[in-house]
Amino acid sequence: MSDASLSDAGAASPPLAATRPARLRLGPLAPWLLALPPVAFMLAFYALPVLGMLSRAVLDPGWTLVHFQALGDDPVFQRVLWNTLYLAVLVTLGTLLLGYPVALLLVRARRMAPLILLLILLPFWTSVLVRSYAWMVLLGRHGLVNEAMLALGLLDRPLRILNTPLATQIAMIHILLPYMILPIANTLRQIDHSLLRAAAGLGASPWSTFRQVVLPLSLPGVAAGTLLVFVLSLGFYITPALVGGPRDTTLSMLISQQVDQLNWAYAACLSAVLLATALVIIGVFAKICGLGGGAFRMSAR
Amino acid sequence: MTVPKDRARVQLPPTTTIGRRAALGLAAGLAAPFLLPGRAEAQAALPDVTNVPDILKGRGEVRVATFGGTMQETQRLAYFEPFERLCGIQVRDVSGSDSGKVRAMVETKNVEWDLCQLSRGTVLNLQKRGDYFEPVDYDIVDGGVESQYRFEYGLEMLVWAQVMAYRTDAFKGAVPVGWKDFWDTRKFGGERALGGHTSGQTPELEFALLAAGVPADKIYPINVDTAFASYDKIKSEVVKWWDTGALPVQMLTDREVTMTSVWNGRMAALQAAGVPAAISWSQGLLKRDCWAVPKGARNAANAMKFIAFSTMAVPQARVSLQIPYGFVNSKSVEYVPAERLAILPSAPEIKSQLVPYDYGWWVDNRDAVLARFNRWLLT
Amino acid sequence: MDGVATVLAGAGAAVTLRGLEKNYGGHGAVRGVSIDIRSGEFLTLLGPSGSGKTTTLMMIAGFEQPSAGELLIDGQSMLGVPPHRRNLGMVFQSYALFPHLTVAENIGFPLKQRGVPKAERMRQVEEALRLVQLPGLGGRNPRQLSGGQQQRVALARAIVFRPRLLLMDEPLGALDKQLRETLQLEMRRLHAELGITFVYVTHDQEEALTMSDRIAVMENGQVAQIGTPEDLYDRPANRFVASFIGESNFFPAVMRGIEQGRVVAEFGATRLQALAGSLPAAGAEIMLTTRPERLRFVDGAPPAPGENRLSVTVREAIFAGERCRYLLEAAGGTRLVLKEASGAAIRRRAAGETAEIGWAAEDTILV
Repeated sequence: MSDASLSDAGAASPPLAATRPARLRLGPLAPWLLALPPVAFMLAFYALPVLGMLSRAVLDPGWTLVHFQALGDDPVFQRVLWNTLYLAVLVTLGTLLLGYPVALLLVRARRMAPLILLLILLPFWTSVLVRSYAWMVLLGRHGLVNEAMLALGLLDRPLRILNTPLATQIAMIHILLPYMILPIANTLRQIDHSLLRAAAGLGASPWSTFRQVVLPLSLPGVAAGTLLVFVLSLGFYITPALVGGPRDTTLSMLISQQVDQLNWAYAACLSAVLLATALVIIGVFAKICGLGGGAFRMSAR
Repeated sequence: MTVPKDRARVQLPPTTTIGRRAALGLAAGLAAPFLLPGRAEAQAALPDVTNVPDILKGRGEVRVATFGGTMQETQRLAYFEPFERLCGIQVRDVSGSDSGKVRAMVETKNVEWDLCQLSRGTVLNLQKRGDYFEPVDYDIVDGGVESQYRFEYGLEMLVWAQVMAYRTDAFKGAVPVGWKDFWDTRKFGGERALGGHTSGQTPELEFALLAAGVPADKIYPINVDTAFASYDKIKSEVVKWWDTGALPVQMLTDREVTMTSVWNGRMAALQAAGVPAAISWSQGLLKRDCWAVPKGARNAANAMKFIAFSTMAVPQARVSLQIPYGFVNSKSVEYVPAERLAILPSAPEIKSQLVPYDYGWWVDNRDAVLARFNRWLLT
Repeated sequence: MDGVATVLAGAGAAVTLRGLEKNYGGHGAVRGVSIDIRSGEFLTLLGPSGSGKTTTLMMIAGFEQPSAGELLIDGQSMLGVPPHRRNLGMVFQSYALFPHLTVAENIGFPLKQRGVPKAERMRQVEEALRLVQLPGLGGRNPRQLSGGQQQRVALARAIVFRPRLLLMDEPLGALDKQLRETLQLEMRRLHAELGITFVYVTHDQEEALTMSDRIAVMENGQVAQIGTPEDLYDRPANRFVASFIGESNFFPAVMRGIEQGRVVAEFGATRLQALAGSLPAAGAEIMLTTRPERLRFVDGAPPAPGENRLSVTVREAIFAGERCRYLLEAAGGTRLVLKEASGAAIRRRAAGETAEIGWAAEDTILV
């Protein structure tokens, strides 16, 4: 190797380095100063109230862990926690399986992309309540889905979908789908188009290109979407209450019941469990995927 | 425990009552084809309040928390507006009344409501844990208000019933009467919905007992074991333990169930919309809503004046003329036509079929029953 | 190194473009390109941006479908054959290394697609790394490498599976000048060692002249001229090629006729001779061209047979190390450039001086 090419071996990615200097003038403290107001806001209006609420779990009536200990052999709590986790896993898988192809389509479609984006975001403009309602109308015994299947001869009598776990899963997958699609589409969009050409040029079939290049490069988006959907699912309340089955109580529903019954210590315990579950999941993801570096990086270039 | 007409965070389309949040209005729009508000019919002929005792007049404002929705509109027309006009006190009404919020407000000494719509059970339950309400000033309350509606920390102002409703097209003309028929899924086929227990509701153990053959006058004190044994028999047929008043009506409309328990006020709208459904008053539960003043409310005196005004004969009648709920002032009878009286839960021939809900028993036993209900349902 | 080269060597593919066209919504990006690329040839598509060179390359690669025309590789039509079935190597300006794979995995990628077993794959990857002079870097992440190293990796990846044709789209465009020159030499060496056909796209005429066996100069979606670097430099077929490749002096002149096989024309009052290309009618307005380094100051020396002479005024004199560069003005205002080797100069001229210049008729081309 010649001297000339060795000489530049030390400097990694010169094109990237070249674009950098201009914006760091404010000094190293600037980002922290800018972040101060929102951090203060979150502390005052979120963290403190949450702590206050959680403190009820251990300070009712005096310092005690008895409420947490009671959860250990509380079959209602265990069943509800299982319901909640199972639902969250299923909904996350569902949004992933349905959302990934949509994200691909969104990124590939050129002229149709704004329309697809609009269709994805449209549900955002209506409340979760209304969307849950729409699913009641669709999934009911005499709803559109059943009527259509009857008309097509696929069924001879209506299926019970509404008021079953399946209805909750369908409705929640629909409601949470954008949270999966958008982060995935974001990472897909960042994939350099020449990588796909390179892969094809090097002999990779479209499927191999997807599996070996597109999929691995979109994993940060998949991780972000999975995390978002999973954590949001954990706290779902309205949809399971409206379209779910009689025994599909989720943690949020139980918390609401307990608040209503003025059992605030128990409700605070449950909230602590919910929060802890979410934090553990986030922690695991951070460990596996490196949240700071990958999943939420909005633009790589 | 009671009435929480709609204490739920999950709110179905408000038909005749409540609706907790502004956002819920959207839901009403969606479900409109099924459930049309049915309160317009009586509005034209509301009697005017012509004079009020000077002692009810004053200045300033009173902040009233209601259960929201169309019931709040009914209340505005029935007594918020006349009160403002005749007594000179502005009514600032908000939706979302809730015992948990009252507890938080009083404990943090940041009381934002002068008056709230609750149930006797809720008030007594909270009062059990501390001092959360002001005693009602009965010196200024109208003499026509019957004593059964009066209690120290609240005054009941709305009478309603939790009853059985069914689709008239489901049983080939057979008419179910009472909860035995409800439990009899061979004779009356189809799925069921029953009340659950979020949003201040209590499970309908009374209905379970009646279905098991316990006579109406022997229900209280409730034998909880008998009630759950009876519940066991219907459990597999119940597709929904509803926790908000609009749900059973919606399910009846959508033919998801053939029979359910409902709040009677909801059914008027359903029937007005042409849904083939009917109420069976037999063995329903008679319940009430009340006004209560949170401890330390800034305008407690105005709140007391409002309580007295709203339970006067004419304001009470103005509610019953808009929505089929009963009044608490015996003199209101003079302002309500006979055919309207006949469909109110307070009508003698209806009331005689109903079982008065025992707030006292539930205040004592609620926590234990709710815990057991959860265990029974989920494990 | 020689051993490796032998292993990788193989006959290059012959590529035939016949009347190739590409339209984008009515706009013709490529308008009838016909080139026969010989087996083992280093052919460069040279042109300014928008000339259609990259589009032509993308049609060969299969990333763009021709609107019309025929494309053959080794005599087989490639129309409708997807890129991954064309078995050709490709190098991009942006390197296009897979950021989630190591250097070795990147290079092994095409082998993996071809079902080469892992052990064999690793052996060939190591060979390819040695071939591009990056031995032992297989474990690195592409991002840890410099731009030059990354492009070597891309090159290794494009040749490791022994394609018979290697396409390169401005592969050195993102590198600095010194590195670019080093890599140019290496590509020449690789081309010689591998014996495969290279089709190279660039807008840099110097790069094209240095590396290519033949150059196709493209303009407005068409081939303006195709030939060896010497052909293009010494005998540009038209004014575009003459000005795009190297520096040229242009003499607008009037055709007078043919004498002794030479074109005779009048540039103002001066009679000039040129090599006969096409033969315009007498009286036609024509354009003659010659290279700046072919002009020289004659200072009254008697003209050699067939030499053109012209009186000029020196407008500017620029000393540029090994050579001097003069900006001259002829009668009628025509600007000319004369380059003179510093060592060969009789004396330095100053701005404002008048002088006589001369050049051979053989160095004068009718375009």
